[in-house]
Amino acid sequence: MKKLHLLPTVALLSVILLGAMFMYVVEDIPAFGDPNSPPNKYVPLPISIDADGLAGSLDAGVVPAELKTKIAEIGYTRENHFPSLEEGNYKIDKTEEGWDVLITKGEKYEEYHPGPEKWYFIKEELGGKLKVYRYSIPVRWQEKTEEETGLPNMVTSGLADYRGYDTMYEETVIFTAAISVIMLLRRREKL
Amino acid sequence: MSTEKRIQERDVVIQTIAKLMIPFIQLYGLYVMVGTEGAGGGFQGGTVLAASFILLVVAFGVDKGRMKMPEGWNAVFKSLGLYLYAGVGGLLCIILSLGAAEYLNYYGIPLAKIIGGPATRGFWVGNIVEVGIGVTVMAAFVSIFYDLVRKEESVEEEGGAEK
Repeated sequence: MKKLHLLPTVALLSVILLGAMFMYVVEDIPAFGDPNSPPNKYVPLPISIDADGLAGSLDAGVVPAELKTKIAEIGYTRENHFPSLEEGNYKIDKTEEGWDVLITKGEKYEEYHPGPEKWYFIKEELGGKLKVYRYSIPVRWQEKTEEETGLPNMVTSGLADYRGYDTMYEETVIFTAAISVIMLLRRREKL
Repeated sequence: MSTEKRIQERDVVIQTIAKLMIPFIQLYGLYVMVGTEGAGGGFQGGTVLAASFILLVVAFGVDKGRMKMPEGWNAVFKSLGLYLYAGVGGLLCIILSLGAAEYLNYYGIPLAKIIGGPATRGFWVGNIVEVGIGVTVMAAFVSIFYDLVRKEESVEEEGGAEK
């Protein structure tokens, strides 16, 4: 009777499973470059209230109190390190699709990140309901990276500036690899 | 087959082409490493530079390669890149700003107050930090390659001695 090779079989199966998982992930991600897909544009928040009377208030540049309490209920408060919607530190831009809420963060980072940032996006749905979205990070990145870092290249600013710690320790990993190879393979008498 | 004989048997075509190509490869590596407006960065540029030295070793042999890029300098470059990134780019932020800025916060360098924030930050990040990464990557890869090559040669020599 032929001997069953357990280890190669398990290895082959795990590789096939991994390949299947990658295929599923590739199928599941949004189309490349789609500017309106959630990771690229905005994330929906579980808020839906009647638009009666609130649209006029938004047009006038004021976020209604009901909306503020709804946003606070999901936990987007100053205690959780989200910028708060207080009088005077936000403004509303009306666009064709809805309303952009721009918030000035203030606090400690005022020196480094002055000016308002796009934070919420409010849209009137067909049924007369207001839906609230949060702008995702790539939007802020695209709009602020040159102004903040002075680099014309989004990739470099992300790699070396915003994620400086990450890159520093990646470099350390390569350094450690080289040192390990030296310790394992280098022969003393030939130095 | 002895080492000298193998060196004599090296191909003239390969040596001439390598001689022509190595300067351009190194120039391209530097362009990729420093040019923040194009594609690439420190990791890619350092790898291209390392590839040029590996081509040198492949075409001319380990001894010539070690003459052009000694292992002592390799060790120096390896740490120098990390010092450029972590030491200068980081500590300058803290010491020169007298503790006002955090580690790796290039905005806190006093030069930013004179020349204007984003431009200085772009200079530090785009050129000095990326060159630091590139130098470390280049030296690490070349050093790993030298060690592997040495192992191969010594094994061959032992095999030849047995025959």
